[in-house]
Amino acid sequence: MTEQIELKRATDPRIVKMIVFAIGVQEYCIPILSVREIRGFEKTTTLPFAPPYVCGAINLRGIILTVIDLAIYLNVPPQPDNPRRVAVIVESKDGVVCGLLVDRVIDMADIDLKDVQAVSEEGSCLAGLVLVDDRMIGILRLDTVVGQLVGDTVSE
Amino acid sequence: MDDILQIFFQECDEQLQELERGLSALSDGESEHETVNAVFRAVHSIKGGAASFGLDNLVRFSHVFENSLDGLRSGRFAPTHDVVKTFLKAMDVLSDLVNEARGGAAVDPTRVAESHAELAAINSIGGDHGGAASAATTEDVIPADFSPVPIDFEPVAADFEPIPFDFDFGEEKPAPAAAALRVTFHPHDTLYERGDDARNILIGLADIARECGGEIQTSCDRSALPPLADLVPDKSYVTWHIVLPPEVSEESANAVFDWVSEDCDFSIVRESAEDEVPAEQDGEQAEPAETEAAAAPPPEEERTAEPPAPESALPPAIEALLPMPVAAALDLHAGSATTPPPATGAAQAAARKPEQASIRVDLHRIDDLMDLVGELVIAQAAIESLSRRTDAAGQHELVQSISSMQSLTRDIQDAVMAVRAQPVRAVFQRMQRVVREACSMTGKDIVLTLEGEDTEVDRTLVEKLTDPLTHMLRNAVDHGIESTEARIAAGKPAEGHIVLSAEHRSGRILITIKDDGAGINRQRVFETAVKRGIIPPNAVLSDDEINNLIFMPGFSTAATVSNLSGRGVGMDVVKQAIQSLGGRITISSTPGKGTTFGFSLPLTLAILDGMLIAAGGSTMVIPISSIIETMIVKQSDIYALPDGSNVISIRGDCMPLIPLATALKLSDAPPRDSLDASIILVVENESGARAALIVDEIRDQTQVVIKSIESNYRQIFGVSAATILGDGSVSLILDVSALVASAIGHIDSKPSNTRPELAA
Repeated sequence: MTEQIELKRATDPRIVKMIVFAIGVQEYCIPILSVREIRGFEKTTTLPFAPPYVCGAINLRGIILTVIDLAIYLNVPPQPDNPRRVAVIVESKDGVVCGLLVDRVIDMADIDLKDVQAVSEEGSCLAGLVLVDDRMIGILRLDTVVGQLVGDTVSE
Repeated sequence: MDDILQIFFQECDEQLQELERGLSALSDGESEHETVNAVFRAVHSIKGGAASFGLDNLVRFSHVFENSLDGLRSGRFAPTHDVVKTFLKAMDVLSDLVNEARGGAAVDPTRVAESHAELAAINSIGGDHGGAASAATTEDVIPADFSPVPIDFEPVAADFEPIPFDFDFGEEKPAPAAAALRVTFHPHDTLYERGDDARNILIGLADIARECGGEIQTSCDRSALPPLADLVPDKSYVTWHIVLPPEVSEESANAVFDWVSEDCDFSIVRESAEDEVPAEQDGEQAEPAETEAAAAPPPEEERTAEPPAPESALPPAIEALLPMPVAAALDLHAGSATTPPPATGAAQAAARKPEQASIRVDLHRIDDLMDLVGELVIAQAAIESLSRRTDAAGQHELVQSISSMQSLTRDIQDAVMAVRAQPVRAVFQRMQRVVREACSMTGKDIVLTLEGEDTEVDRTLVEKLTDPLTHMLRNAVDHGIESTEARIAAGKPAEGHIVLSAEHRSGRILITIKDDGAGINRQRVFETAVKRGIIPPNAVLSDDEINNLIFMPGFSTAATVSNLSGRGVGMDVVKQAIQSLGGRITISSTPGKGTTFGFSLPLTLAILDGMLIAAGGSTMVIPISSIIETMIVKQSDIYALPDGSNVISIRGDCMPLIPLATALKLSDAPPRDSLDASIILVVENESGARAALIVDEIRDQTQVVIKSIESNYRQIFGVSAATILGDGSVSLILDVSALVASAIGHIDSKPSNTRPELAA
């Protein structure tokens, strides 16, 4: 019975499973299908000429990828001395893999796309806002965030 | 069948290389019997293999080629420049035909025909005494010295075609004089399916006999013919025996079968030599004949074994039983005869996918590797047992054990690299052809000399070198070397000369392309660059910088765009290709004397010897190959420049000082008041320019595995790649050339190696 509901949810194109995490006090989410894994934060290797929000590079089983400190990227004050900081390893549509440094991962949520309120700004890293259990959650536009890493058009 | 075809194509590649080597030896004036034989064997083997796979085009062409080569072998004509040239051209066509058979692009038939005609023309030079002479030569040269290729042949269909009944095959005459030529001919069904007729062959034989003033005697072997009731109308059942007059050469008799060799069994035997194996005789002119002859016995047995069976068992009462076994037998043959073609097709399809998916490796290299792996297992066991001991001595031994394991690992790495290493010969020899084709397009006369073809590099590199080298050589032919008139006017030999060489130099491979042309016209390069808006008109550039302008995208000085080059794409593509392989290009050019391009490439794309250093709190790797020396500086050697940077004088040689942490803008770089006693690494880029890098610490020297960072990040200035250290952390590999170039750009636009010239 539960399986059927699961199936119905999975097949309904308007409902997307998202992973919800927090940076400071603000909560954000990204589609769970783009997440490869979640790792504890480890020491990164500083990259020269990197924009400030790039923490550095880490080794993920032989693949070198960069970690973005979302707190700096989104200009949100992070929680100080947080032992639960984790890196969410994501893969964009273009196959670029990178890590997103977040303060904590909260849970998963089924988000109905028709509940999403669009953010008017074009090219923003936020795709929209959605209300889950009276909490306002921002939906990150992953391809914008990751795309900036690869492209040359990074504003430093 | 697929596998065998695959092997055949591999062999073709090898034979073509052999052919190329032989022909270039010939063009260098070496006309030893062995060389000529090697060339001949190569073509012969290709032909033999092709015939057994039914690759008609290839067989026909290689047949003509072989005939001409035979003329050379028997000494009918000498390997003059023109002759070798024609052979080289024919070789190109041949390799294209091989490629076509493999499923590559179809070959332009006019090219084949042209080369065909040229070969025939050569052959007629020496062959004017007519066929008899050539027959004589062929006879005495052939038998012993060639090794027939191992070949797989399609089973010969053992069912036959009905004879056209209007044909008169009745007459039987006694065999004539001893030297008469005896031809046995048995058409397959396919001969008729292709719309040909056995009659045409017989008429053809009669014609050549008439040309020699004789007549043919024909007899027909009807033993295989079933009774009328069992006769299948569209099967071929009979075999002809034709006796040709002695004047007829085997060659001309063979020519009659040229177009049907696939569709019939035939043998041409001198009466006197009848006892010998016919294949030995036939092999010379027609490999198909050889294969067929070799193939002939089993089917012949079948033929005589099976059809007579019905005949002997013919009493009408049993007739009803017969169709079964006969039909089964026929089915069997039909099955075996029809399966090969589709299989061949599939093999061709398969051959299209992987470009040379296998490599040949010397057995001793594999053995070395095996030995090393054995040692590794022992070392591992030793470490395991040592790690269980807790005493201090055990600890010490463990360290020793690990260090021996370290050197073992390195040896294994070298051994694996050696397995992957391939000589650059394959690519270099392809370049001969590029130059030849470019020459024929531009009408120039240019000789390409290859040096160091045995230099070995990783096979991935070998493959990726082809395109850049092709571009460079075309450019050298088209732009580098002047026209013949201009050369003569300049007092140079009319024949242009290009040297393509490869050598190992300090852990890299250096490939140089040197021409003796006019050199780079710097004036014109400069003007063109200004015209195209690449540089401002008032720019002041050194010679070297002007030379490097030709690598700018969209640059071309050629007055006219030719077929070959001059569209302004090419040099920048070459540069990108070489850079993507981790290589650099250098140019040096003397007006009137020529231009030399150098490619410096890493030996492998996977592993690098590096020095681990620390700067600005990060551990980084600098390729050992670019480090000249390390030292601790004295304040007295450092001179400050007005713009705030410093130069250091090392034994009288001045070079810029680069504080690495600052140069890479690593955030936590500590500001240093005094540079005294800092550790520096003197590094050099490919063009010999040097700089001194200030680092915080030199940690270790190690081999690192190169990992790309660009797949998940953009390119970073001063960083060529990254690696993963023993502790699992990421470390950056520095791009020394970029660092040096930028430092020199700040201080002095001339690389240090030009200074002696300036001083002189």
